[in-house]
Amino acid sequence: MKRPVDIPRLAFAFFKFYCKKNRFEELHGDLEEYFYERVESKGMVKAKWFYVRDVLRCCQPYAWKTPHIYQNSNIIMFKNYFKTASRSALRNPLSTFINLFGLSLAIGVCITIYAFYSQSLNTDRHHVNKDSVFLTTMYANRDGGVKQYGMSPLPLATYVKDEVSGIVNTCRVDDHGVVIRLNDQAFYEDVRLVDPAFMEMFTFPIKWGNAKALEDLNSIIISEYVSEKYFGTENPIDKEVLLVFKSGEKKYFKIAAVAEDFPDGAEIRFDFLINYENIEVARTTYNPNDWSAFVDATFVQVESPENVWSVKSGLGKYKSLQNEVNEDWKITDFDMVSLHDLYLASENIERAISSDKHKPGRVILPFIGVFMLALACFNYLNMAINSVAKRLKEIGVRKVMGADKRRIMIQFLAENVFITSFALLFGFFLGVSLFIPWFEGISGDSYTIKLTDQLFYTFLLGLLMITGIASGVYPAFYISKFEAVKIFKGKIRLGNKSWLTKSFLAFQMILAIITITGAVLFIENTNYQKERNWGYDQADLLYLHTFSEESYQQMKAELEQLPEIETISGSAHHVARISRSTVVENLEEKIEVSELQVEPGYLKTLGVNMNAGNYFTPNLQNAAKEIIVNETFLTQMNLDDPLGQKLSIRDQDYLIVGIVQDFHFSTFGTLIKPTIFSAVGQESLRFITAEVTFGKEIETFAEVEAIWDKLYPEIPFDGNLQANVWDGYFALISNFARFNKSVAGVAVILAMLGLYGLITLNLSGRIKEFSIRKTLGANASHLGKIISKEYWWLTAITLVFGAPLGFYAAKFQMDIVFAYPIDMGSRYIIIPVVILLLLMVTVLLTQLLKVMKFNPVKGLRSE
Amino acid sequence: MGRAQIGEFEELVLLTVGVLYDDAYAVAIAKELENQSGRAVAVSAVHKSLYRLEDKGMLESRLGDPESKRGGKRKRLFNITPYGKKALDESLDLRSKLRNQIPELAFKFNS
Repeated sequence: MKRPVDIPRLAFAFFKFYCKKNRFEELHGDLEEYFYERVESKGMVKAKWFYVRDVLRCCQPYAWKTPHIYQNSNIIMFKNYFKTASRSALRNPLSTFINLFGLSLAIGVCITIYAFYSQSLNTDRHHVNKDSVFLTTMYANRDGGVKQYGMSPLPLATYVKDEVSGIVNTCRVDDHGVVIRLNDQAFYEDVRLVDPAFMEMFTFPIKWGNAKALEDLNSIIISEYVSEKYFGTENPIDKEVLLVFKSGEKKYFKIAAVAEDFPDGAEIRFDFLINYENIEVARTTYNPNDWSAFVDATFVQVESPENVWSVKSGLGKYKSLQNEVNEDWKITDFDMVSLHDLYLASENIERAISSDKHKPGRVILPFIGVFMLALACFNYLNMAINSVAKRLKEIGVRKVMGADKRRIMIQFLAENVFITSFALLFGFFLGVSLFIPWFEGISGDSYTIKLTDQLFYTFLLGLLMITGIASGVYPAFYISKFEAVKIFKGKIRLGNKSWLTKSFLAFQMILAIITITGAVLFIENTNYQKERNWGYDQADLLYLHTFSEESYQQMKAELEQLPEIETISGSAHHVARISRSTVVENLEEKIEVSELQVEPGYLKTLGVNMNAGNYFTPNLQNAAKEIIVNETFLTQMNLDDPLGQKLSIRDQDYLIVGIVQDFHFSTFGTLIKPTIFSAVGQESLRFITAEVTFGKEIETFAEVEAIWDKLYPEIPFDGNLQANVWDGYFALISNFARFNKSVAGVAVILAMLGLYGLITLNLSGRIKEFSIRKTLGANASHLGKIISKEYWWLTAITLVFGAPLGFYAAKFQMDIVFAYPIDMGSRYIIIPVVILLLLMVTVLLTQLLKVMKFNPVKGLRSE
Repeated sequence: MGRAQIGEFEELVLLTVGVLYDDAYAVAIAKELENQSGRAVAVSAVHKSLYRLEDKGMLESRLGDPESKRGGKRKRLFNITPYGKKALDESLDLRSKLRNQIPELAFKFNS
């Protein structure tokens, strides 16, 4: 096959590349014949061009080489397997549908779980410097146990930058609540004060403007979300916003940059960024060398992440500096947590800049994924074993033609993987278009599957293999055992495996009842939580938060005029809103408690029950040294006879004068903390709590809001009906219930499909029997008895095992999420049982109906 | 096999193979078709049809002798098989049958 002299080199090589060996001679002969003719008639140059055109035109399947793999007998065999697989799939649409649908559902669920997991594990890992940027954390012993805290001493960043080697950059982060004024409107927002290095250490791409602008004290960077919220699609660069800090100071800032939307799930993000030096405006008492003060977070970027230990030991010397001035918060040690690890570690770090909210999901979701896959695989197993009767001849022929046991197994496994890959495709679309949006609706976060994520493909492949093989290995093994001679003699007796298929079915039913129990319990629990006693009369209370002592006095005076307001009292802190953390000690114990500084009448207004003792002495002079404690406080301090006991707080002696019953300071998701009430000084009064005449709450609240807007049009109103403060929490727990309901729905669909498929197959094998019974006069109840006979003991076993299992599974799940779950009585076992029984009876009835309508003549005639 | 199904171009190629009896190979067929129909015919299109017809069993083939005008390469010569003839006949029958059923009126043009 040497190249003739004048033929263009490249085109010839290409032709040789694609052309079949055994057609090369005739085809190239044709081309050459044309070529030489054209050389004569049109000249060499044109002939060459025509030759190139012909080579390209001939590049068609008839001339192509057959790739080697097509000649491999294994491949040819596999092609045949797929052909028979698709044919037998099309011949049994019902079982194919059940298999495909079930597997797709399960795979869709798994893909959703993958999206959740991948996002959760990769939270805040998009930063380029994630391995070299560290959060400095500190350990402190506040109440007998050493805990890790995410904040750090205020001056740490400035000191380490100069004194510790190996540090490239430092950045302080401090969050402040401010009032933002824009277009004559006022809003409460959080502003993040950071050093300019923030934008270098973290990766936050800029949409408009310049990130360097943060070096300017008067510049502000906003997020794309904020930009859209306040300015729509307009470019807000160079616009001015007025910030009113808690200190009362006001300052104008110029928008210098807009940061692009943060990646899904990013935990470290911001709405507004300003230079940290503005702290002097934000906090009047600011002192850069005050080691007793804290900053919300200090990040350092180190030269080499491997040597972070040397930086860490360099921090050690600041312990003594801090310990000297802050008795209450003695730091025992410093630690560094890299940005890469921060999110997952934040579960154990108190007051960290990020918090791991995915933990319960990461515990529970894998179980659900495995449940669903197991359900779908069992369906497949049952279908495969029961439909083998229709394919006995095929297996016999294959065996006669020389297929051994291994080949038959491979065939059925390959078939399985083939069907599973379809399910994978459907499941992917189901997951992306249905389950993920649904899951987003429930969790409130957004999740995406990135098609560039290589791990995802590995995951899909793994899913395909595991599902395909797990569901196929047994049927393949079972089918491959048949002997060809027996098949052709008709001696194979099927149906002796019914105990196996039934135990699969029983297992599915058990899984179904577990999920149903979970759903029922969560729904009941949601209602229970809504009804739960808060420990005080939240129904007729309203509160509002004022911004200064004067505004407090002014609003109080206004509110006292309203006839609907019955009692009124003031406080520095407020239940369900804010408290302060204090350390209380006596000779034996030392614990950290929540402290609320309140006026004597506050507890009465709340309606908290007193167990013993009294409210404060009205005389402020005495009251200053008195505290009221709750029951949890007593148990934690081990106080038997608490009234009159002395305790040390902030190095001063306090006297317990009263004991209140436990009440819920925060939502039912957290345990009640030890709490103390102390008297408040006039200058710290901020919250007004008022008891309103029953039934007038909403009108009165509107009135209060109107008064506020008249007095302080430039400050947003911050107050609420006490009964509404946990609306967000209740929405969250109803979402838990919704989630469990949906999971149960999918599991029940899968189990019922399995039951339906099994009964259908069973009945189709007994058509003759039923036809004879019908002609001999069997009626509906008789047939129903016969059909359902073999399923009753199955149901019994399911219920005996499933109901308690479901009960404990739900309890386990509930204990993770709720601190005060519903008291689970036996009726919560009965409800799921009834639901499952009803569903099973429905499935059986549909089948019975089919048998009743069936014409026995047809059944007897068919062969 | 059911009715022999061939496309229009395939039918032309099949006919030309018959016309060129004993010297029917791709280049000759392409040229003959060009001459008879007056439209340009790519040799690759002829190749495609020839191999398809052979797969269908309407043509059979053998290799001829090497020729210098082909750079010393042999050519593949095609012959019609009985099945090929049957396909041609059926196609022709169908056409003439249809043609004969057209009423005279349909051809009475006004002009």
